[in-house]
Amino acid sequence: MSEGFSDAIAGVSSRRGFLARTGKLLLGVAGGGFVASALRAQKAEAFHFCGHIYTTGSCPHPTGLPRIDRLGFPLRASDGKPVDDLGRTIDALGRPVDAAGNVLRDPDGNPLPKAPRTRVCAGAAKANGFKAHLDGAWYRCCGGHLRKLVDCCGYVRNRINGDYALTGYCYQGRKVFCVMYYDTKVKC
Amino acid sequence: MLTAALGLTAFLVGLAGSWSPCSLSMVGTIGAGRRIGGRRLLVLTETAFAAGLVVGALALYGLAGLAGSTVHSHTVLVVVLVLAALAAAADAAGLRVRPQLRFQVPEGWRRTMPLPRAVFLYGVLLGTGLTTYLLAEAAWVLLPLSFAIGSVPVSLAIALGFAAGRALPILVLVHRGGETVLAERPQGLRVLRLLVAATLVAALLAGEARAATRIANPGGDPSGVGTDLAWQQPGVGGFLLRAGQPAARLPGNDPAVGDTLVAWHVGPAVTVASRDTLTPVIQETVPGVQKLAVSSRWLVWRAAQPDGSVQIRAQPIADPTRSSLVVSAKHPGILGRPSLWGDTVVFHYATGGATWLTAVDVQTGARRRVRFSDDEQLLNPSLLGNRLLYVRASRCAQELVIGPLGAGRERVLYKLAPLAGQDAGHEEHHTQQGEHLPCPHRPKPTSQMLWTTALTGTTAYVTVLRPRPGGRTVPRLLAIARPAR
Repeated sequence: MSEGFSDAIAGVSSRRGFLARTGKLLLGVAGGGFVASALRAQKAEAFHFCGHIYTTGSCPHPTGLPRIDRLGFPLRASDGKPVDDLGRTIDALGRPVDAAGNVLRDPDGNPLPKAPRTRVCAGAAKANGFKAHLDGAWYRCCGGHLRKLVDCCGYVRNRINGDYALTGYCYQGRKVFCVMYYDTKVKC
Repeated sequence: MLTAALGLTAFLVGLAGSWSPCSLSMVGTIGAGRRIGGRRLLVLTETAFAAGLVVGALALYGLAGLAGSTVHSHTVLVVVLVLAALAAAADAAGLRVRPQLRFQVPEGWRRTMPLPRAVFLYGVLLGTGLTTYLLAEAAWVLLPLSFAIGSVPVSLAIALGFAAGRALPILVLVHRGGETVLAERPQGLRVLRLLVAATLVAALLAGEARAATRIANPGGDPSGVGTDLAWQQPGVGGFLLRAGQPAARLPGNDPAVGDTLVAWHVGPAVTVASRDTLTPVIQETVPGVQKLAVSSRWLVWRAAQPDGSVQIRAQPIADPTRSSLVVSAKHPGILGRPSLWGDTVVFHYATGGATWLTAVDVQTGARRRVRFSDDEQLLNPSLLGNRLLYVRASRCAQELVIGPLGAGRERVLYKLAPLAGQDAGHEEHHTQQGEHLPCPHRPKPTSQMLWTTALTGTTAYVTVLRPRPGGRTVPRLLAIARPAR
């Protein structure tokens, strides 16, 4: 993931990106299925979501994959719909909605109560006793869109994995506790 | 029903234990008291044996129940229920009891100790049911059931039933003369195992019935006192169910019962009436009224205001000319339905940042926040004395919870799956390393939602909302038997 930028792994990342591009070119020229599968395998063996290039784990997120919006609130990874802390899809006002986007209402017609919606990094920080910071980021092309890879930083010794935290894109002595991503609307 | 069925099962398991070598040995050992010291020593020895059985059984099963009451694992309960069903099948089929215990109580005690003391200690060991041969497969599941159910009354019933079943045939045979009566009649054991299987199945069915009973469908927003229950059927009106009588339709909506009163409204016209005769006590107009709660001293309502805000207000039954503001909220959907016990009204307040439950003494105005969460939803509390019932919706479960109004241990009475599922935690063709999933086990989400509650001395009620097209929801009213403690 993005914390690799300031660690030795960053170099590996650059080389891997270069190799990937070169591989695709070779694939286009030669149509070599063997090369393609080898590259796919290398990618699959890497990290748990596209763009992530190191081992720091995901931030706790209501639906699993740590997809966030530009403000750091949780989105459902499969379709980018906003979700609350219970994992329910919600409208712009935070009210729970059904699959068709209708506001769910009680039998009297009142909207069902909102549940809390916590910024993903803030939730991780609260649960683990540190103050959340979003410092730097890194962009990769994932699924046809630019993806912003975001580190959840804090003055922590250990990361969510339990071992030593890395500097990544955190500043002023902060370290990466866990990682998130934001899918932009920019095509690539 | 569950308690009685398990107590009877334990009694029959104890009876079946009469065919164990240790039980047969006890007949002669206790009977020796008469030969050594006459009738007085015999009575003392019998009493010591019975006391030992009770102590041993209470210690083991009672502690298991106490320990289980602090755990309340749904998984453990399911596993134990499966084991119990298998045990019932084995006993019904008369299969050889496996695994088998080869223990025997220490024979030397009868020679090295005074007889009453030795027999008391034998009783303690035999009271546990796990220190000698087992003659019914169900004997294996009594202890896990005590733990998994986690109810001290149920555990006490198991303990006392088992001790009584163990003691009765031995003491009878001491007087009737000789254990060979049993030893020569093994077919009695077969009948007993069939009865054990039948009562164990009855207990399992009773446990299932305790899980949740449907009261009304559609129906919701319950309000209960004693054996009376009122609820609202959407589009139809309020209903009142009295013990032993069919549900009667009330002449209004959103009924509430409390002490000797019942309240309903037709539009803004609110009526408070005697619960027995439905004779009106108060009739007044409350514009925008939505929900009601009533006790012998107070009428409480939630009402929408012309500016779109919502208020909960309290009015003395003795003085309908004045009412006081309990709480207000700017938008609908924030304030829950009020519940009233004596002078105390409880309700939820839900925002996008947190939810909390508040208790307000409407006599003094004193208020306190009795529950708060900024990552779970706490909804629609009900109060009965010091017991608070409410819905807790978290990321991985929806639970109907009961506990003290203040701090203290809570219990989950009923549980539904969470309202949302989770993804794989990693993208396709990517490794699992580094993924972090919200729930320990992949949940199978439900769109049904626990909603309003009511609490009586014996039963907890909860409305379950089922979504319909267009965002509408339809309520279903369930009853769950409250544990005795």
